[in-house]
Amino acid sequence: MNALQPIRTWNHEALRRQARLERSTPFSRGKAVAARDMVSLLEALLEPGDRVCLEGNNQKQADFLAESLAACSPQRVHDLHLVQSVLALPAHIELFEKGIARRLDFSFAGPQAHRLARLVQSRSIEIGAIHTYLELFGRYFIDLTPQVCLIAAQAADAEGNLYLGPNTEDTPVIVEATAFKSGIVIAQVNEQLERLPRVDIPASWVDFFVVAPTPNHIEPLFTRDPRHITEIQVLMAMMAIKGIYAEYGVERLNHGIGFDTAAIELLLPTYGESLGLKGKIARYWALNPHPTLIPAIEAGFVERVHSFGSEVGMEAYVAARPDIFFPGADGSLRSNRAFCQTAGLYACDLFIGSTLQIDLEGNSSTATLGRITGFGGAPNMGSDARGRRHASAAWLKAGQEKNGGQTPARGQKLVVQTVETWREPGHPAFVERLDAWQLKQDMGMALPPIMIYGDDVSHIVTEEGMANLLLCRSPEEREQAIRGVAGYTPVGMARDHALVENLRDRGIIRRPADMGIDVRDATRDLLAARSIKDLVRASGGLYQPPKQFRNW
Amino acid sequence: MRGLAQSYREALARLRVQALLDPDSFSEWVDPAQRVTSPHLAALEAPVSFDDGVIVGQGLLYAHPVILIAQEGQFNGGAVGEVHGAKIRGALLRAVRDKPSAVLLCIDSGGVRLHEANAGLIAISEIMRALFAVQEAGIPVIALIGGTCGAFGGMGIVARLCDVIIISEEGRIGLSGPEVIETVKGVEEFDSRDRALVWRITGGKIRRTLGEATLLVDDDIAAFSAAAGEEVGARPRFFKKRRLTPAISLQTLQAAQQQLSARAELDAEIRDGQVLWSRMGLGDQVSLMSPEQFNRRLEALES
Repeated sequence: MNALQPIRTWNHEALRRQARLERSTPFSRGKAVAARDMVSLLEALLEPGDRVCLEGNNQKQADFLAESLAACSPQRVHDLHLVQSVLALPAHIELFEKGIARRLDFSFAGPQAHRLARLVQSRSIEIGAIHTYLELFGRYFIDLTPQVCLIAAQAADAEGNLYLGPNTEDTPVIVEATAFKSGIVIAQVNEQLERLPRVDIPASWVDFFVVAPTPNHIEPLFTRDPRHITEIQVLMAMMAIKGIYAEYGVERLNHGIGFDTAAIELLLPTYGESLGLKGKIARYWALNPHPTLIPAIEAGFVERVHSFGSEVGMEAYVAARPDIFFPGADGSLRSNRAFCQTAGLYACDLFIGSTLQIDLEGNSSTATLGRITGFGGAPNMGSDARGRRHASAAWLKAGQEKNGGQTPARGQKLVVQTVETWREPGHPAFVERLDAWQLKQDMGMALPPIMIYGDDVSHIVTEEGMANLLLCRSPEEREQAIRGVAGYTPVGMARDHALVENLRDRGIIRRPADMGIDVRDATRDLLAARSIKDLVRASGGLYQPPKQFRNW
Repeated sequence: MRGLAQSYREALARLRVQALLDPDSFSEWVDPAQRVTSPHLAALEAPVSFDDGVIVGQGLLYAHPVILIAQEGQFNGGAVGEVHGAKIRGALLRAVRDKPSAVLLCIDSGGVRLHEANAGLIAISEIMRALFAVQEAGIPVIALIGGTCGAFGGMGIVARLCDVIIISEEGRIGLSGPEVIETVKGVEEFDSRDRALVWRITGGKIRRTLGEATLLVDDDIAAFSAAAGEEVGARPRFFKKRRLTPAISLQTLQAAQQQLSARAELDAEIRDGQVLWSRMGLGDQVSLMSPEQFNRRLEALES
């Protein structure tokens, strides 16, 4: 052995962590940081090029920490690589405009989609990839591990233990990846308490916490006012319940968020009950606590719900229904996006959601020109889990249909897209070519931002009827099946009428009448709640809707 | 297979008529097939409706003959134009001749149709005069208010002339609509987009509380029908009620004047229904009470 060979150090990351902590000492008292010192702390601790997760969820935002980071001097803090699921706040965009951050790996940018697209076009940002949630969480443990994470919690105690409140969302997976790879965990909390209701993150995983000047912002993203549900949506919900839920015996499922799926939730206790489906369908859910699910819960349809996050106003209702939801010992909800996404992918037999565009292969996308929206929960849950090994009646039946009636070696998830043929005047939902392809070209992306791939889609439901793509035997049949439910859109008008009638004879396309549904029955009187107030009443006064949803 | 009750608020006028009366008992006068439409709208090249936004005719309510007038809130906000007004007036005068058990007036209107303002204003005064004639003949006029447009403007006044007002929580009565008040007096005076405030000031519950409506019912056509049935004596009364408008005499007018003066003094600083409900000891959850709970609490307070 050559004695002169340099000795390799094996704790480089731990030493680097130590150095960061030492640089931060002047700005903290133990783990507690004063709000006014946060910018100085971040400037001392961060190094150029750091991978940072700035917790941005669907709902919960580490808004104070985002503003603090954006207030850092770009001379001291620059070229950060942000790895976070959602880009929701104006401060997130500012980081790139100021040069504090340069590279981004993310999942969803709903409210900032437009500004993000402009940043890409002006080359002020490098986008690694637009991920699904589970992909991004997976990469936290492989090649995108954060060196610093800035998270949001409800409360901390003096030692730095954290209580996350009902809106857990991404926090556990972020902290796990950061804390166990010598990273630094910084939490903003709404309050410091003597004693926490429960400990969700132990103090030994947390380096710093700050009581934010204002509580972190939470949007009620999952509340749909039943007032806005149309009779067309009622009709489509009837088709989904009778033609899919009942026929396949779907017991375990996830719903996308929208008025189409809210209509289904509100039809379960009325239409579903009249079909004798209670206890047979829609029993187990991967779903946030949607207020529109209250009547189905009260009617005894729903037996269990696991959630990604919570919903503003649903706290007392959820706490009063511990058999249905997943509460902690303190009674308040525990949610978890990583686990609920996994459940939606592997443990559910059906995903149903809406989209903005569907092409002739059944690919669907919510991307439109000039906006980079990314994806919500749909791509993971709206895809067939080919690694799945446990059977269920719904999964096997769908697999058999796809396999020409033969018993296959694996089943198939039901992935349903429910759309009105025209989403608004001048904008058909069915298109020859998705805007996503143009966006790929304009933005120089490696892939078009397709939300759900056509080969994962099993059914398309429109006001004109339902297409079962599992039964299609060729790309031509598939195309005609899609045209055959596309109504009076240009795509629908270009159908081959003879072929479409043939598909209808074979049950691949079914009109409402073919399913024994009288379109005249599709009225709003079928909804178990027609207003937010009806939901409050159905909850026995436990649901407390946010102000913007009240008319009292 | 019905979920909730059949919503009165969301139904079109034709559906309301059908569901309010005994099955197949309604026969319409000046029906849409006759296409008596507004000449004013046509002159302005605005869309017309073959019934000019109002349905009039006769039918049976729990086997009692009634004349029914139903405005269509989805056509020009149920606004009263020349033809529309003439149809209402004609139906009222027909009641004087035919002596039905009652006239049902389903009001769903923002008031006078601005396209034909003068004709509409005259029509409103003609409707009022005809309504007095019906009352003079001893026939009760029952207003049903639960549509999206409420009863505003001239039709708000007409509503208050009726013997009985059956209203849902979603129903509203007023003179100037919230948007008009906001436009004229500013958002500080009345924020028309604060839906909660609008209903606490013009909605069915506060109108019933103030004694300006007779009975609060569910947003359910069957509930409106049953309550109207009680008024014509076809069904036993569930709640005891008094007529809103007693037969007119000097004494009753003086009594009404006295009552209004007292209210103007007492409630001068009350600018929100919630304040009144709290003072009355009804608590802060009035908005969440069902109509039945609400009526019982109020009757108990009033007796």
